[in-house]
Amino acid sequence: MESAMQNSNPTILNIADLPTRLYPEPSGKSGTRRVGIFASTDSSVADPSNFAVSPYASAESDDDVNLMEEPIDEQEIYDLVSTISDPEHPISLGALAVVSLPDIEITPTLPEVPGSLVRTVTVLITPTITHCSLATVIGLGVRVRLEQSLPPRFRVDVRIKEGTHSTAEEVNKQLADKERVAAALENGTLMGVIAKMLETCQ
Amino acid sequence: MSALQTFLLVVDHDKQEAKQIAERIAQDVESKKTSLIDVVQSLGEYINDDDAILRGKAVSYLTAVIRALPPKFLSRQQIQVLTTFFSDRIEDGGAVAGLETLQKLDRFNKALAEEVAQAIFEHFQELQSRSQSQRFQVYTLLNELMINHRAALHDMGDHSLVGIVDLMTGEKDPRNLMLVFSILKVVMMEWDVSNHAEVLFDSVYNYFPITFKPPPNDPYGITAVDLKGRLQDCISANSQFAPHAIPALLDKLDSTSPNVKKDALNALIACVKLYDPNTVSKYSITIWETLKFEILNAQEEFLSDLSLEVLSAIAQRLSEGVTQISDQLPLAQYLRPITKECSEQLQEPQQKQAKPAQLILSSVSAASAASFTLIVQTVVAPLLTIYQGADGIAKQRALLETFGVLFNAAIQVFGEWTTRDPEPTIDNPLLEFKDQFSDIFGQALMGVIKEEGSFRVSALKGFLRLSTLRNYFQDNEIGLFVQYLDEILLKEESVGRDDLKKEAIAALTEISKHKPRLILDITFPAFVATLPDSDDGSGSDYISTLETLAQISAEKDIFDTLVRRLLSKLNILLQKEQPGSVDYPRDILLTILYVMNQRKLDQDPNLDLYYDKIVVSLCRSATAAASGNAPNTILTEATVLDVLGKLCNLIIRSLPRSKQDEVAENVYTLFTPAEDFQPVPFSPSPSDNHRRTMIISTYLLASLPTDSKALPYSTPNMTPLLSDITTRCVAETSPATSLALLRHLALLANKFLPKTDLDQATTLLDTLLPATTLTTDLPFTLPPTTIQTIFWLSKALILRLAPKTTQILTTLLALLSSPDPTTSTTSARAFTILLHDDNVLSVPNGANIRLLSKQRVFTTLIPLMSTRIREVNTATSPQEPTASTTTHIKPAHLTALSGILSTIPPSLVMPELPTLLPLLLQSLDLQSADSTPVRAATLDTLSVIIRDNGVRVIDDCGHVQSLVSRLLSTAEHAPASGAVNTPRLRVGAIKCLFLLAQVPSGSGSDAPAVAKAGTLSPLLSVKNQVLRALLFVLDDPKRDVRKAAVDARAAWLRGVDDAPDENDD
Repeated sequence: MESAMQNSNPTILNIADLPTRLYPEPSGKSGTRRVGIFASTDSSVADPSNFAVSPYASAESDDDVNLMEEPIDEQEIYDLVSTISDPEHPISLGALAVVSLPDIEITPTLPEVPGSLVRTVTVLITPTITHCSLATVIGLGVRVRLEQSLPPRFRVDVRIKEGTHSTAEEVNKQLADKERVAAALENGTLMGVIAKMLETCQ
Repeated sequence: MSALQTFLLVVDHDKQEAKQIAERIAQDVESKKTSLIDVVQSLGEYINDDDAILRGKAVSYLTAVIRALPPKFLSRQQIQVLTTFFSDRIEDGGAVAGLETLQKLDRFNKALAEEVAQAIFEHFQELQSRSQSQRFQVYTLLNELMINHRAALHDMGDHSLVGIVDLMTGEKDPRNLMLVFSILKVVMMEWDVSNHAEVLFDSVYNYFPITFKPPPNDPYGITAVDLKGRLQDCISANSQFAPHAIPALLDKLDSTSPNVKKDALNALIACVKLYDPNTVSKYSITIWETLKFEILNAQEEFLSDLSLEVLSAIAQRLSEGVTQISDQLPLAQYLRPITKECSEQLQEPQQKQAKPAQLILSSVSAASAASFTLIVQTVVAPLLTIYQGADGIAKQRALLETFGVLFNAAIQVFGEWTTRDPEPTIDNPLLEFKDQFSDIFGQALMGVIKEEGSFRVSALKGFLRLSTLRNYFQDNEIGLFVQYLDEILLKEESVGRDDLKKEAIAALTEISKHKPRLILDITFPAFVATLPDSDDGSGSDYISTLETLAQISAEKDIFDTLVRRLLSKLNILLQKEQPGSVDYPRDILLTILYVMNQRKLDQDPNLDLYYDKIVVSLCRSATAAASGNAPNTILTEATVLDVLGKLCNLIIRSLPRSKQDEVAENVYTLFTPAEDFQPVPFSPSPSDNHRRTMIISTYLLASLPTDSKALPYSTPNMTPLLSDITTRCVAETSPATSLALLRHLALLANKFLPKTDLDQATTLLDTLLPATTLTTDLPFTLPPTTIQTIFWLSKALILRLAPKTTQILTTLLALLSSPDPTTSTTSARAFTILLHDDNVLSVPNGANIRLLSKQRVFTTLIPLMSTRIREVNTATSPQEPTASTTTHIKPAHLTALSGILSTIPPSLVMPELPTLLPLLLQSLDLQSADSTPVRAATLDTLSVIIRDNGVRVIDDCGHVQSLVSRLLSTAEHAPASGAVNTPRLRVGAIKCLFLLAQVPSGSGSDAPAVAKAGTLSPLLSVKNQVLRALLFVLDDPKRDVRKAAVDARAAWLRGVDDAPDENDD
């Protein structure tokens, strides 16, 4: 950070305002309706199965819940990349609005083959300023994170959002070029920067 | 040979002998056998010798003799002669020590001190070139003179100042510097330094920054911090240093080393605190101009914090003695550029630079009332204007937070309602804006779109701060806020994560500490009014109301009112023919229990009331319900009785002994006369409802002191009672009553049975066990209730470490080998009971739980289990005819093991790990559906072991490969193969993998789990296998599993490396 910052005063979104997955209340389960503050006061009363020697009859045997599939969706992709740190500020890409939920899209890669499970994830990046030279590094970081975290049937496409960067085309070309990405990842200094960015991922 | 000659011979190799010689001569001098003059004259031939060493030794001889003389022996004249003698020869060894001895004497005077000092200063060049220890002697002498004869040195003025500086110039030894700095500090503070300020300052500043690192095993124990402290004291000692010190220190902030910057900032803080206010004022703006970059472009957080501390310290110094605020004050001049800069940054308060601006305002305004006033006068009005023109919620919100920062500062300066310190004399400048703030925050909280949760939370927090700020709002204004909060809690639908409601409850709780009256008058009636008279089962809205009431009732008055109101609600319910759902009365009791748990009940003045209204009265109602004499059946419900029991338990524990004895007599009668209710023990055939009152009896029993004499059925001994309860335990079918009876039995055997009568309990245990257990292999079966009773009774005895503990454990283990699968597996599950922390048989309830009991159980059981499993493993060969009948034995042992492990602290597990690990791995091999809990418990144990100790311990046992393969197969989601790995198991296994690649949290060392210097990580050989397998787990249908896999994969990619990092610091 010795060199002058590209953008020293970006707008920061409040963490509480970032999109998150709202888990549904564990509703409708008889016997476990206590979720509030009394839960600890009320321990072991209604559910003596802890002590009973009858077979463990707990939520674990709830086959419906266990069998329900939860496909990978946009929010999940967002959660993967929003906690990456910006290389300039110790602030997450989510808080800087570099990545945002509406700019993430999952589409079938081969729409003409109905049964195909192959998917393409498109992530559009919005640099904080239009001439940010670190846009490529950010794009690369997002790409590395997704390739490490998604199953092989996902294709990753990271691009600069249209109209948000002066050399978007050039950057996009670099990010899309497999050879150049691979070459970049061999570069120790660059990988160091990216590893630092990914350190904050939760 | 003369004494002197002997001394000269031995002094080098035998200090003791030399000292004795000197002492002998001293005695001779004292007893007038010889005179001091003779002694001095005897030196004659040596002290003029060319050999400096010989001269030094001769002088040392004289010094040693003087030192051995009694303090009052030397006359003034003798001292004078000796001083002159030593001073003349100060460059000779031993003279300095002699002078040090002399200056301690009472008859040593100011003129002599001056003479000595003069001698030192004149010979500084020779003294400087001496060895470290000799220089140390010189500094010690000087230091002693400074302590004992400071006036002499002080009167020498510039002469001594320059002399000392000349003497210490070039000193490098840390021990000597410690002395030098403390000598110099005196000069700096007490001498007139005006002629030599720069020389003096430079003499110490040359050492800044201190980069000293003590050598390992340093016997002197001087640290860099000690040196830094003394140096800092010197730099900040005199205001006249300011022209040199402050620019120099500010220059150091250009350094690239954060440590140097830290030292410079710390020194600045010291200077600001000690220089006189006029000097501070002179440099205040220069300091601000430099420090602002440290804060606005914070490099390290601690540098920004220290810089803020400097700014705040300046504001504090400039506020000293200020009683009248005016913009001519030095303080005002200092603050002007600060507020200007901050106001500029706060034009767009949602941007990154606004944060440091807030920090600056916060720390400077909290410095003093005057500072706060000046800042508020310049900053608040423009911020209000920006707020009016703000175009977006984000901006408004950031402004609310900025105001919040100022409110916090206001609280620091003016205190809260509960603060007892005297108030500042200056009026709170925020009073001028009171109505505006009330409007803005009120509107932000209640006016905008309800969905803007986080915006409203900011408003709420700001409003709360103003409400707790001392003497700011009127009660009716806080009341308005309380009404808003009530409205949010009672009328609004839940949105998202409900942060707003949580904050609202927290705010009401906070206000209840400052203004309990408002809560009682406004919130309480509003909330209680929404409680229904009865719940028809349709909705449970009342729960959130009860929860809120419980949380805001920590204050005494509110608590008391809450209990009364709720009890009257409950009594109405108990009188109803059609009371609706039993959950409602139970939740009412639960609310009371929750709040009582939060308070210190034994100091509560209303304790007697609670005893009468809750313990006595409700117990009677319960017996009436049990006998069918009540209007409804609420108090026959197990869940209600359980909460009631806990409540009684809590109250009785705080009662005085006399009342507790009263309770003891009523444990079974429950305060009801015999004609209305027959106690359960020894009753021929009580009904279900009747037996259920044992739930309350058990809680009453648990609350009593161990030595209660009045316990029914306890004389002459407890045997009849114990066997009656045991019979009931075995026969009981209702789970809740059963648990109560089992606990009752355990309490009696653990807490109340005298040590001498323990055999009664063991005999009882034997009657429950089949006689055949140990002797033959005949099939035996035990019903589950019997097994349960056996284990609870065993628990009671094992926890107090009864003499037969080992025998009991062996017997229990034998149950697992029962040929009857049901008996075996049921017993296996019951092993959890043994060490599980029970809420009734617990330490707060006075249960007899020995500290070593867990360890004893574990170390007894593990080897036995391990042996037995190995036997079973080898026995299940094809030629064994009984193989098919014993397949359940191994899983049973593993189940029992997991039950024990889940109740044992990990520290106990570690020593047994080599035995234990193979068993754990075998547990992971179990595949059937009912092994899920066993495997889950195993994974929990493994994760704790790995988290605290890292992969090393697994590697030491040689099981890395086998562990990793099993974890990976457990992590697999493969419905096709028939393996049953529930999501929870998959997550558990992946978590273990994740932890393997982490640095263990338990070890304080910085050694990475993965690669220690020189050795390769034990994980390296499996890295590819793990990464490949996890790639498929990334496609798991469950989100939590995928998340765990992402983290684990990242950890392995990042953490498991071929070579250790070259520079890991």
